[in-house]
This record gives sequence, structure tokens and C-alpha cells, in this order.
Amino acid sequence: MKRVLFTIGFMAVITAVFIAVLAWVNEISKPRILQNSKLMNAKSILYAFQHLPQNVVEDALSDNTTTQDLPWDNNICLSVMNARIEQKYVPLDAQDKAMLKNTLLAPGDSATVYIYRNRRGQPVAYGFYIRGKGLWGSITAFAAVSVDLKRMVGIDFTQQTETPGLGARITEQGFKKYFRQLNLEPFLNGSGSARPIKMVRKKDEMNTQNSTTTLQAITGATLTSNGVLKMMNTDLPFYLDLIQKNRMALQ
Amino acid sequence: MKAAELIKEDLWKNNPVTIQVLGICSTLAVTNIFLNTLIMGLGLTFVTGFSALTISLMRNIIPQRIRMMVQTLVISSYVVIVDIVLRAYVPNISKALGPYVGLIITNCIIMGRMEAFASSNKPGVALLDGIMSGIGYSWVLLVIAFVRELLGFGSILGFQVMDPLMKTLGVSGGWVQWSFMIMAPGGFFMLALFIWISNTLVQRGSAQNGGGE
Repeated sequence: MKRVLFTIGFMAVITAVFIAVLAWVNEISKPRILQNSKLMNAKSILYAFQHLPQNVVEDALSDNTTTQDLPWDNNICLSVMNARIEQKYVPLDAQDKAMLKNTLLAPGDSATVYIYRNRRGQPVAYGFYIRGKGLWGSITAFAAVSVDLKRMVGIDFTQQTETPGLGARITEQGFKKYFRQLNLEPFLNGSGSARPIKMVRKKDEMNTQNSTTTLQAITGATLTSNGVLKMMNTDLPFYLDLIQKNRMALQ
Repeated sequence: MKAAELIKEDLWKNNPVTIQVLGICSTLAVTNIFLNTLIMGLGLTFVTGFSALTISLMRNIIPQRIRMMVQTLVISSYVVIVDIVLRAYVPNISKALGPYVGLIITNCIIMGRMEAFASSNKPGVALLDGIMSGIGYSWVLLVIAFVRELLGFGSILGFQVMDPLMKTLGVSGGWVQWSFMIMAPGGFFMLALFIWISNTLVQRGSAQNGGGE
């Protein structure tokens, strides 16, 4: 009996000691971890809105550059986020909720839309998180569209678990650059296919000079490319419709 | 066991990956990028070393029947510390390693060394064994990662080397990346090749030293 009590007591004491140590380590690291997470999100949002660090020429970036590789100034990032970007919660009606069911976005009574304003305070673009399925797991991206909703401003992939070197290249400039100026008009006028954005396999099929509805697929990562394509064609209609209906609230 | 003999055992003659064939999941998962492998190796070495020290310090008071529960508690605590430190100080690498940091807990090398060595040896030698087992695991992974990143991406630590080399040699089109090397089958292939070569060398060394153990 004495031995059993000692065993239980020993396990309880040692568990309490280790939990106390971990709680202390967690507590002292928490502000730094939260700050890192906030900064990573801020950089992704600014990249998607094409608000790049000073002296960065996007066309000169190498294809394997990621958002976090850019020479961001952390203080400027956070001050731009506070001064130029506003987060708004848009309530969803029954029709919106029905559309939401076609996506992998979290269900709820409202959706978050980010407004990017110019120095005079006028909205120049809207942004929102979209979600899809890749080869290994879910993919989350921050997408930005122009204020007239006709063009995509940019995208940044904030969460993914795709194969490094293959599917994970969706986070690189070589893939993301084709989202700039992507033509979204077919979503607005309802013309043509229900899935207007297409992926092409070869670079010579791309028209990078003019706005098109085509993106460049990643060789060797077909399932990831298809996952991104699907999330674009299901989540964009939901948000574009929502923003159109709530124009006044999103000024 | 003397320190020199212990180091030789952990790094080569009884290497946890090539001889004991432990820690294979992470060997296949994280070895396509050298930097990720280096951080994983450092994390595992830290966890193995300090878990071994802690278990050894408590070896005379841990009740036998709950010793494995205590070992798991100690190992998982150190893994959580590694995870928190990575998230706080190298968030990009923490993001790249994803769930694999947490999975250090399930790495058989650590539990194996706690049970086979740390729970019956003095703290100093247990710490040395833990660190050397971690290094024994890490160096094998680093060699595999070096080859996989070089052939798969044409780079070392993210810096392109094969493309400029091919262009210098006058090969038109530069380096064609071996996508196979980046994927899990490339890891299986490299690991099998490495185990074959290292075991052949170990056996040859044993034969030359008088016909084995």
C-alpha cells in the first residue's frame, strides 16, 4: 500500500513540476510568439495588397523568393497595418450562408473583409482569407481584389503543408506573380463557365502582358495546383458577391 | 564503457539510424532541405541529451513500474520547450518543419536511449550518450539531406550551385532538377543506399579487426 501511494505521489509531483516549468517557458515566450505571428500575417496581407517594402522592384525578384524573404521593416509593417488597413465583419444572410456551404471556409454569422486604403483614406482594394485542399492538407491564402472587383491585386499563401520543392512552391514569387491583375470579370457578369479561372501548363500559353483568367500550374504538383484553382473558383464568387451587396458598409 | 568507445558506438558502430534503423519517419520526412534537417538534428540532440541527463539524475528514485511514463513526460517536456523556442526565435523554420518537431516525442532513438542507457548510468556519461546518439542521428540525416537538396533543388543551404556549375561547363538549359529526390521515394532510395554502404564498411572494419564482435 505504501509503495502504491509513493508511486502515485511521485507521478503527481513530477508532473506538477514539469507542467510548472513548461507554463513558465510558455509565459515568457508568448509575447514574442504572438508578435511573430502578427508580423507574418501583416507581411502576407501587405504583399497581397502589393504594398511592398521600399526599393523592392517586384519584376526583379527571383522566382523562388517568398514573402518572408523580402526586406521588410517590422515597425513599418505594423504601422501600415494600423494606418491603412481596416478589418470589417460583414453579417451573412441566408443566401450568403448557402454559398458559404460550397466552400471550405469556416461557417459563421459573419465574414471578415479587409479594406486597404490610400493615404487619403479611400478604399483601393479588398482582401479576405480563402481556403482549399492541397495534396497533404488544407491551404489558406490571403487574396486581394481591386475596389471595382474586376481584377485581382494579389495573393499570399499563409498556411500550407505541401511537398517542399513541389507543391510548396505556391508560396514563391514564380507562382504568385500570375495572380496580379488576374481578370475577375467573368465572376461578376456570370458569363461563361462556372469555373472561369483556368490553369495552363506551359509558360507560352500565358499572356502576362494583359489581364487574363489563366494561372501557371506547377510542374509535378498537379493536385496542389488543382486545389488552388478550386479554392479560387469557389471562394472568390462568395466574397465578390458579399462585397457587392455590402458596398456601403465597406467604404 | 569508456567515453571514446561510447562516442564510436553512437556515431558509427551502433549508429541509431544505419544499424538500429530507428527514427526513420523523420529521416524520410525532413531530409529534402538541408537547413530543416540541421534544425531537426539540433532539436533532437538537445532533447536526447537533456532527457538522458534528467532521467539519469532521477534513476534511483523513479519507481520501476512507472519508469516509462516518467521518461515520456520528461521527453515530451523537452520537445515542447524546443517547439516554443523555434516558434519564438526562428518562426520561418518552425513553420517549415510543421508537425515534425512535435513528433520528436515519438522518435524511438530517445526512448531507446533512456531505457537502455540513461536509466542505469551516471548523469555525465548519460548526457554524453544522449548527445552522441543525437549527433549520430543528425550526421546521417545531414549527409542524406545534402545529396537530396543538391540533386533535387540544385542548391546547398538554399544557394544555387548546380545551375551555375552546369552553365560554366557549357551545358545548355542548366541543371534539370531531380524531382524524385525531393519526394519521399527519393528519401527511401537515399536511406537504403546509405545503410548499404555504411553497413558494408562497418562489417569490413570488424572483419579486419579480427572477425567481428
